[in-house]
Amino acid sequence: MPLLLRRYGTAIGFVAVIVVFWLRLPETFLTSRNLLNITQQMSMLAVVSSTMTVVMAMGDFDLSVGSIASLAGIVAALVFVWGGSPWIAVPAALAIGLAGGLLNGFLVAYVGILPFIVTLGTLTIFSGLAFCLSGGKTIFGSAIPSSFGGFARGGLPLGPFEITIPNLTLVAVGVLLVVWVFLEQTVYGRRLYAIGGNAEAARLAGVRIRPLRLAAFGLSGLGAASAGLMLASRVASANPTQGAGLMLDAIASVFLGTTMSDEGQPRVIFSLLGVLMLGVLGNGLTQMNVDSYVREMITGSIIIVAVAASSLGRAREA
Amino acid sequence: MSLLSVSHLRKSFGGAVALRDASLELRAGETLALIGENGAGKSTLIKILAGVVAPDGGSIQLDGEPATLRDPGEAHRRGFRFIHQELNFVPSLSAAENIFMGRGYPRRFGLVDWGALHARASSALRALDVNHIGARTSMARLSIGDRMLVKIAAAFVEDADAPARIFVMDEPTAALTGEESARLFRILDSLRRRGCGILYVSHRLDEVLAVADRISVLRDGETRATLTANEASKTELIELMMGHSAAEAVGPVIAPESERVVLSAQGLSGEGLRDVSFELREGEILGFAGLANAGTERLTNVLISNARTGRVTLDGASLKLFGPADAWKRGFAIVPRERRAQGLLMAHDIANNVALPHLDRVNRLRLFVDRGAERARAAEMGRRVRLRSTGTLQKVRKLSGGNQQKVVFARAVAGTPRVLLLDEPTRGVDVVAKFDIYALLRDLAAHGTGVIVVSSDHEEILQLCSRVVVMREGRVAAVVSTEALAPRRLLALCYGEATG
Repeated sequence: MPLLLRRYGTAIGFVAVIVVFWLRLPETFLTSRNLLNITQQMSMLAVVSSTMTVVMAMGDFDLSVGSIASLAGIVAALVFVWGGSPWIAVPAALAIGLAGGLLNGFLVAYVGILPFIVTLGTLTIFSGLAFCLSGGKTIFGSAIPSSFGGFARGGLPLGPFEITIPNLTLVAVGVLLVVWVFLEQTVYGRRLYAIGGNAEAARLAGVRIRPLRLAAFGLSGLGAASAGLMLASRVASANPTQGAGLMLDAIASVFLGTTMSDEGQPRVIFSLLGVLMLGVLGNGLTQMNVDSYVREMITGSIIIVAVAASSLGRAREA
Repeated sequence: MSLLSVSHLRKSFGGAVALRDASLELRAGETLALIGENGAGKSTLIKILAGVVAPDGGSIQLDGEPATLRDPGEAHRRGFRFIHQELNFVPSLSAAENIFMGRGYPRRFGLVDWGALHARASSALRALDVNHIGARTSMARLSIGDRMLVKIAAAFVEDADAPARIFVMDEPTAALTGEESARLFRILDSLRRRGCGILYVSHRLDEVLAVADRISVLRDGETRATLTANEASKTELIELMMGHSAAEAVGPVIAPESERVVLSAQGLSGEGLRDVSFELREGEILGFAGLANAGTERLTNVLISNARTGRVTLDGASLKLFGPADAWKRGFAIVPRERRAQGLLMAHDIANNVALPHLDRVNRLRLFVDRGAERARAAEMGRRVRLRSTGTLQKVRKLSGGNQQKVVFARAVAGTPRVLLLDEPTRGVDVVAKFDIYALLRDLAAHGTGVIVVSSDHEEILQLCSRVVVMREGRVAAVVSTEALAPRRLLALCYGEATG
C-alpha cells in the first residue's frame, strides 16, 4: 500500500481533484470547451516545463526561463515596431532565447559556476534587458500584425466533433513530442539522464558532460523563447514582465512529475501531468470564485504535500 | 599502569568482518605503535576508540574501569585526542576556528570570545614550535603540511575540564617535512614523559621503530603479536603483517606469449606521478602495487588525461587523450576504483549501465537508442561475467556488491577493449564473484587484451599478474616478475626495504 501510494499518490490526488470540481461545477467543468481552454491556458507552461525537464534530467535548474520568455516577446514586438514581418520577428526572438540559454550553459559547463547562481544572475540580466529595450512599457496596438495576434486565437477545427484544437495547444504538443523523442529515444537523452544519475560515473564511462550541458541549457532557452512568443501572440502585445510566472510553475510541475516517475527522475510525460494538474487546479478554483491569493496558497501546499509524501515513501522503501 | 586496555573487540559491517579479535594495552608514559596491512582493521579500531563506531563485542577499559565510548564527545571527555589521517577541515575558516572546531569556541557573556580563541590557538601552535602560521590565517591559504600542523595543534589545545591523556595518531607525518615530523616527535616525547599514552598508527616502519616503545601487529582483524621495539626488526614486522596463509589456488599465473607491446608509457608525470615508464604486452596482466599515496591510485587517471607530460603509445602509435570519453573511443575500457561513486548509475537498469560508453556504436541512425540491441548485448555480457540478476531491466542498486562490480565489468568488456584499466577490481567483492572476475580477466588476456591492474591487495596481484610495477612516492621503484616472488618480498619492495 505505501508503495502504491508513492507511485500513484499524485495521480490519485489528480483524479480526486477532477472529481471534486466535476461535482461542484457540473455544468461547466467537464466540458470539451473548458478542457480545451485549459490546454490553451497551459500551453506556454507545458513548453517551458518540457525543456526544463531536459535541464533537470541532468540534475540542474534554469531559473532564467521566465525572463527569457519576456525578453523574447519584447524582441518580437520591437521587430514589428520597426516594420518587420513575423518571418523575421519569430526567428529573432527564438535566436535571442537560444543565445541566452547557451550563455547559461557556457557559464555552467565551461566556467564551472553553479546553475543556480548563473541562472539567478541571467534572470535579472535578461529581465533588465527586456525593460531597457521596451522602455518599461507594454508594446501593443497596430504595430503588432494581426497574423501574429491571430495565431493564438485560431485553431484546427475537428469537424466531426465540432471542436477546434487551439493553435497554442498544437504548438505545445509539438514541443512535447520533440522533447519526448529527444529525452527518451536518443542517445543524447540517455546521456543526460546518466549525468543526472551520477555525473562522475557518467564521465568515467565516456560521456562528454560539458557539450551536453551547454546544449541542454540552450534548449531550455529556446523553449522559454517559444513560450514568450506564445504569450505575446495570445495578448497581441509584449510586456517586460509577461513571462515572470513561468519559472516557478515550470519547476513545480517538473517536481510534481518526479513524484510519479520511476526512481523519481524527471520525465517529460510526468512533467506534462504536473502541468495539467496545475492547470486544472487553477481553472477549477477560478470557476469556484476562489480568491487568486488563496488559489496560490492551495497550489503551493499541494506541491509540497505531493513531493513530501513521495520522498517519505522513497525513504521508507530504501 | 594500564591507561587503556582493549580486549577482544569485534566489529562487522554487513557481511564483512573488520575486526575479529583485536586486543591491545596502552600504558601510561609509553608509545604503542599499531601496524597492519590495508584492511587489517586499524581504522575500525581507531573509529571505535573515537566513539564513531560501536563495537559488536569485546570491551574497553580505561584505568582498569570498563568504559563505553558512545560518541566523539565522550571520547574527548575521557581524555582521548585524535589526529586523523584524513584532513577534515573547513577551508573558509581561520586556523584558530578550525582548531576549536567540534569542541565549542571559548565564550564570554554567551558570545564568542574571539580574543581568547585566537590567544589559545596561537599558544597551541607555539607549543608545536610553529611560528609561521597565524591563528587568523584562513585554512584555504595554508599548504597541506601546514594544514596538518593545524590539525595536530588542535589535539594539543588544553581543556581544563577534560585533560588529555591518550593521543591516537593515524599517519600523522604523511604530509609533514622531516623537520616538522621531528618537532612532532619531540612533543610526543614530552607528553609521554608527563604520563600520557600515545597510540601511533603508521605505515612507515622506520618511523615506528624509532618512535615506539612497543609495537602491536594487526592482521585480518586480529592482534597477532605485540613486540618490544628494541627487539623487533623490519623483516619480522613485515612477516607478521603478511601472515603465512597460503594463497588460495586459483590456477597458475599465465605469462603472455606475445612480445608485442600494446601500450607503453615513457616519462609519465603529473598529479604526483614522476617519470613513470612501463610497457604492457599483448595479453599481459600487469600489476601496479604500492602503499597508500605511492601514486598507483592516480595512475589510470594520469594515463588517460591530458594534464600530464610524457609519451604514451598504443600499438606503436603516439596517443594523446583528453579524458575518459577519448579513452573509450580509442579502445580503452575503464573500471574505476569506487563502483558506487564512480562506476554505476545506481537508479538505472543493467542494460543502461552496460550500454553507456557504447552508445556511439549501438544505435539507430547514429541518433536513436536501440533498446533491443542494448538488452541483447547486456544479456550476453552478463552471461560472460556470470552476472546473477533477474534480467537486464533490473535496477543496479538492487544487486549485491559483487554483482554490481560484474555490471561494471560487463560494461568494460562489451566494447572488446584493447586495453583494460582496472583500479581495485575486486574491492569489497565476495570470494565467488572475485574468482569469476579473475577467470574473466584471464580469458580476456588469452585473447590478446592488455590488462592493467592497480591493486592494494597483494595476493590479488600475485595471483593474476606475471609482472608487477612497484611504485613508491610517485615513481616506479621496481618492475619485477611475480614468478617465485614471495608476498613478503613484494611488501618489502613497497616499503623500500628491498631492491628489484
